Amino acid sequence: MIKITGLTKRFGDLTVLQNVSTEIGKGEVISIIGPSGCGKSTFLRCINLLEKPTAGEIFINGENISDRRADVNRLRQKMGMVFQSFNLYSHLMIIENLMLGPQKLLKTPRQQAFDNGMKYLEMVGLAGKAYSYPDELSGGQKQRAAIARTLAMKPEIVLFDEPTSALDPTMVGEVLAVMRKLATEGLTMLIVTHEMKFARDVSTRVLYMDEQGIYEEGSSEQVFDHPQRPKTRAFIHKIRSFVHKIEGKHFDLYAFNARLEQFLKRHMFTEKKINTMLLISEELLCNILPDIEGEYMLEYSDETGETTVTVSYMKEEEENPLTSEEHSLPLMIIQNSAKDVSYHFADNKNTIKITLEG
Amino acid sequence: MKIDKTLDGSKLTMSVEGRLDSITAPMLESELKAGLDGITELILDFSDLVYLSSAGLRVILAGQKQMNKQGSMVITNANEAIMEIIRITDFTKILMIK
Repeated sequence: MIKITGLTKRFGDLTVLQNVSTEIGKGEVISIIGPSGCGKSTFLRCINLLEKPTAGEIFINGENISDRRADVNRLRQKMGMVFQSFNLYSHLMIIENLMLGPQKLLKTPRQQAFDNGMKYLEMVGLAGKAYSYPDELSGGQKQRAAIARTLAMKPEIVLFDEPTSALDPTMVGEVLAVMRKLATEGLTMLIVTHEMKFARDVSTRVLYMDEQGIYEEGSSEQVFDHPQRPKTRAFIHKIRSFVHKIEGKHFDLYAFNARLEQFLKRHMFTEKKINTMLLISEELLCNILPDIEGEYMLEYSDETGETTVTVSYMKEEEENPLTSEEHSLPLMIIQNSAKDVSYHFADNKNTIKITLEG
Repeated sequence: MKIDKTLDGSKLTMSVEGRLDSITAPMLESELKAGLDGITELILDFSDLVYLSSAGLRVILAGQKQMNKQGSMVITNANEAIMEIIRITDFTKILMIK
């Protein structure tokens, strides 16, 4: 339906998007998440050319809308957009706001535009406000009206740019409820949002944007429950993470300890917990896995208070060091503090994971 | 880590200060290997020991084994954190602790 290749957007010297490529299929509900300023909204605005891409191509149903000869207005009609600020015409009644686009752009007869408009207002629960002016509506109602106005243009895809972020928290729910309904009805939707629970519930695919592009993508379950890349994990779980490269025989325990201790102090770990983390790490890196070349990662979740230590290293054979008798002493020390200790082997990658309760 | 030794006849007191870990355990091991000839009573004073890992425990265990052949070994003044390591590894059954 929509194919984006090599999309790049620069504002002067600032590169916001660099070589972004993806495809959006019919009926997909895609949430775009990521830290503020990572280019989520710019990405959305580039798709319907509200921002002119610096480079790259955007195809809608095979037609290149970034081509200079393309009939952008006609192609843009296939895409509706819902903004943070509702952009309703304040001098027009709500039903008139809905009728304007279809009448002017789609040449829909007035009565038909009215009938369709009422149908969409009913869909968003605002049939009773058809003859009200925007100023008479609450923020949540205005946004629902804006969604109905977008739908009245019968778009093939709707782009939502943080549709709830300008709303009072008490009104977020009613807008999300309308969006949930649209998602279940098969509308293709691309949603920039900070509403993680909503994104998790409704999305068929989630794009996590960072480092000037799509940093990680996958199903809701993949991105929210099993994020693979560190920045995604840190964002999703509000995790504080500490990563240290382990360089075989050159591993310097005291340099490692100094870094880890500094990190843990910064995150308000108690002296006792710091001591436990240093002890577990030493047992793992010096006694159970001496001389490995790999990566140590400590993650701390604000939400659960859980701390996880993961050490991964490459080795062709599967050999679980946790079952070795020679490691019984360090293991006793680790297991005393840990809620869970596990070993995993896949694609020559060995991983030991230690989970500690908060 | 710092080790202070006090010799009183055949009684040797080693005061271990700081961290007894994978880096420093070999130092204590060397001191024990070199200093136990003729010693019948070894006291490991842990008043100022702040950290103990399995590497340190192994050296303490080796010291205990050596002293079992020629006398006795006692650990004194270990703080709660050090005692916890000794307890969870079941070394309380092997070591004499005061």
